[in-house]
Amino acid sequence: MLPRTLLATGLRDLLRRPLHTALLVLGVALGVAVVVAIDLAGDSARRAFVRSTDAVIGRATHAVHGGPSGVPVAVYRDLRRRPEVSAAAPVVEATAFSESLGRTSVRVLGIDPIAESPFRDHLGGGSLRAPGFSRLFTEPAGCVISAAAARRHGLALGGPLRLRVDDRALELRVLGLIEASPDRAAALEALVLLDVGVAQSLLGLGDRLTRVDLILASDADPSGLAATLPPGLRLAPASEQAQTAVQLTEAFHLNLGALSLLALVVGMFLIYNTITFSVVQRRTVFGTLRLLGATPGQVFGLILAEAALASAVGTLAGEVLGYALGQGAVRLVTRTINDLYFVLAVGDVPMTAAVALRGALLGMGAGLLAALPPALEASRVEPVAALRPSTYEGRARVLLPRIATVGLALALCGAAGLGVSDGVTAAFASLFAIVLGTALAVPLLTATLSGWAAAPLGRVAGSLGRIAARTVERSVSRTGVAVAALMTAVSVTVGVSLMIASFRATVVNWLELTIRADLYVGAPSGGGVRATPAIDPALPARLRALPGVADLETIRRVRVASGVGEIALGASELGATGGGLYRFAPGSEPDPWARVQAGSIIVSEPFAHRHRLAAGARLEIHTDRGPVVFPVAGVFYDYSTEEGQVLMARAVYERHFDDRAVSSIAVHAASGTDLAGLAARVREAAAGRALFVTDNRSLKREALRIFDRTFAVTDALRLLAVAVAFVGVWSALMALHAERTRELATLQALGLTPGLLRKLGLLESGLMGALAGLLSLPLGALLAWILVDVINVRSFGWTMELHYEPWLFVQALALSLAASLLATVYPLWRLGRREIAAALRHE
Amino acid sequence: MPPLIRFDKVSKSYPEGDAPRVVLREASAEIAAGEVVAIRGRSGSGKSTLLNLVAGIDSPTSGDVWLGTEAVNRLSPRARTLLRRDRMGFVFQFFNLIPTLRVLENVVLPAELAGRDPRDAHERASALLDRVGLLARAEAFPDRLSGGEQQRVAIARALIQDPPLVLADEPTGNLDDHAGAVVMELLEEMTRAAGKTLLLVTHSREVAARADRVMTIEDGHLVVPH
Repeated sequence: MLPRTLLATGLRDLLRRPLHTALLVLGVALGVAVVVAIDLAGDSARRAFVRSTDAVIGRATHAVHGGPSGVPVAVYRDLRRRPEVSAAAPVVEATAFSESLGRTSVRVLGIDPIAESPFRDHLGGGSLRAPGFSRLFTEPAGCVISAAAARRHGLALGGPLRLRVDDRALELRVLGLIEASPDRAAALEALVLLDVGVAQSLLGLGDRLTRVDLILASDADPSGLAATLPPGLRLAPASEQAQTAVQLTEAFHLNLGALSLLALVVGMFLIYNTITFSVVQRRTVFGTLRLLGATPGQVFGLILAEAALASAVGTLAGEVLGYALGQGAVRLVTRTINDLYFVLAVGDVPMTAAVALRGALLGMGAGLLAALPPALEASRVEPVAALRPSTYEGRARVLLPRIATVGLALALCGAAGLGVSDGVTAAFASLFAIVLGTALAVPLLTATLSGWAAAPLGRVAGSLGRIAARTVERSVSRTGVAVAALMTAVSVTVGVSLMIASFRATVVNWLELTIRADLYVGAPSGGGVRATPAIDPALPARLRALPGVADLETIRRVRVASGVGEIALGASELGATGGGLYRFAPGSEPDPWARVQAGSIIVSEPFAHRHRLAAGARLEIHTDRGPVVFPVAGVFYDYSTEEGQVLMARAVYERHFDDRAVSSIAVHAASGTDLAGLAARVREAAAGRALFVTDNRSLKREALRIFDRTFAVTDALRLLAVAVAFVGVWSALMALHAERTRELATLQALGLTPGLLRKLGLLESGLMGALAGLLSLPLGALLAWILVDVINVRSFGWTMELHYEPWLFVQALALSLAASLLATVYPLWRLGRREIAAALRHE
Repeated sequence: MPPLIRFDKVSKSYPEGDAPRVVLREASAEIAAGEVVAIRGRSGSGKSTLLNLVAGIDSPTSGDVWLGTEAVNRLSPRARTLLRRDRMGFVFQFFNLIPTLRVLENVVLPAELAGRDPRDAHERASALLDRVGLLARAEAFPDRLSGGEQQRVAIARALIQDPPLVLADEPTGNLDDHAGAVVMELLEEMTRAAGKTLLLVTHSREVAARADRVMTIEDGHLVVPH
């Protein structure tokens, strides 16, 4: 326990240096804010998903699933009579796009209100007395939506609700509104309820259901029940759906979390820098305290207490700021999840205890960790420092090689770690070790390189050039850390930018290869990889007959059960292009496409990675005829989904499944055909269907728009990291100027004009910026390699070609210089307003 | 009665280039309890080094510095810290008050570090401030005080633990003549009245004239009058 008076010296010091304290608080606050915002967004998205899944699954313990063509109603009737089934409810489920509900993707759920009450009473099963729900049976196109959604989008009872499901444009009537409890409101916002019969009719399902939800008797044997189901049907635990979807987004959340930690690491540099400066400035005070009897432990505790207080305030501010940023971040995260994975509506972003606690632990932990080295330094101040001028810089220079050696060892451990473990978390840990290790070596490099820069800078800018270079060298305890912080932020920017540029270039090449037809016809329902839009199976034949159509390709995308869980299956019917649409990874069998025609399947690279499959392996797929084992003929490059997909030939699909729909059609025009005219003819042939007809170029543009949108969060995070580094340079310059008050005043007294003073300041910060920029380039290139060839492969299984875009390096150098030069503006302005006489007396 | 301080063939040199710079050469001397001793010498002659050796914040190259029955230089760093806290008071040329503590708190600090009862410490600090004429400024921060006033606070702080030994390094070196005289008078009066030993380093003849004995350092040799 620290004596009260000793504690008071620290606390009052925080109050007496508002700028210094503000920097400390800012370092923690910015780091915590970014972590909390991303955590909050991810957490809210995950909870929203769990809630919406709960809302749809309800109290079901199991569900009977069919293949793409669903479950016959007769099976439902049979299941209701089974003794091991306590309750059964028929469900039709589809993903739709709704203009009335804010142009978003929604889930359409067809239910039987009478059978519902044991399952989902909150959806209306318990509200049959409400007028809207009973009318669901009688109205041919009636639906029920959540009252919150109706209010948000201005929909009224009795009013129309427009939906597009597959290739159908539907206009329903809102017959009832569900007033849900606040915790369920968000889950129901993206849900449209119909009577199951109405849903079957509107979606063209005939007498089939998507699934049958079951509550099994407590003594029922699920495997016994499963064995009696007709071929093609499968009994699965109700939780399976939620698990599959949560697994889908795991890598996405992990990558986002790792990037958010970056802001915290850069924030730690700021804290370290600020506290170190404060320790250097108070060496005489610590010496006096030691002389008066304070033990090293007490001085150490004093610095940690100061850091703890500033961290606590910073953490609190960071939590509030993070909460505010989280509201924006959740929109970006939800949009990406909706683009890539599944339909999700996140109504609210409440601060949860878990997120707040994680933020608090990280904030306090980072603050205290960053304060450890300066606290140790302060505790080692000898009492004689009360009588002698500072010797800190001398000691810092002695320590530099040791710190650099530790850094090098850390970086080497990180590099070795890449080879030891093949996990994603381990890869991120290695990456952090490499970044941190390199950053530790930066002060030594800063001192060495700025020492070398003295002569050339002297030739260019005379004495001021030499002073600038030697100041950066001599005050390396301050400048080195600022350069390290800036270098870290810029190198991560370089690494991530190179990764995105490489990814984009790879995707562009892939789009060039795969999008070769002239026109594409599809149903615009959203919902990411879980969407399986169906187009009228008669349409391809009609299109083929149109003048100007040379060839057609079709693909049917469905989700089916398999030996490795639910998977995305594509049934492809290729025209003259044959398998040329696909590029195969090494190890694939010769001419895989010919084998696909003969009954094999091919799997995409992420699928092969996720399930550890290679050419020659076998995969069991649950077809309408029961489980069938397919040989894998090859692995193809595919960047459409990180979940991965399996492809089989259309003819093979039709042998095993009853479904005859297609999901999209690619039209090759005969040479010389007017594409606009052909598009008009295609639209005419598809009249009455809600289909989009788009040309090759627009489709590629749309794909790249979604790609760019996916990385919007990353851009925001990178900017924040640079902002924190900017504050780091600023604080270092402020410290530098404060320490050199007398020296600079002497120079001014000797005739240094305000203009020359500015020149000196800009030379110093310019040198720091240039060093940070130059050092960030090799590290950035290394980070890009780790992100592309290690983390990306482990997270998603994608092979990408690494493109070292020269303009990104130039941009990084410019960013680094601009950040450091801008950071000089305020310190220089402050310096210019100082009274020289007072500064000359400064101790 | 054994001496309070004893220098036993104390030598001190600092590394400087190839050959070490010798500051003290086998200095031997004894200072009795209650004695006021001034050390004089040219700048860089080793006066402050001698004081630092007694305080245990510097170590001799050879020989021992004794405080009572303990060889200060042979104690552990922690024991030296406790020795300074409990048995020594310090007065510096630049006062070295803690800028973030009020006057009263500055005086109380060593007692609090020693774990003394806060109420007792405050009472004693108030009495000492009264003695140095600054009780009215007890709640002020040091930067509101003149140099002479700050040094008077430092004297009060040096005496809060009632140490047998007070070490003063150029206590008037940063004060004008009048303030210096006031401070020196107080320092002498308060240490003599309490029977304490005062070891002070000074350039000033006037200050040295107040001492019982004046030791000088010439070319590393401690010249002790008998």
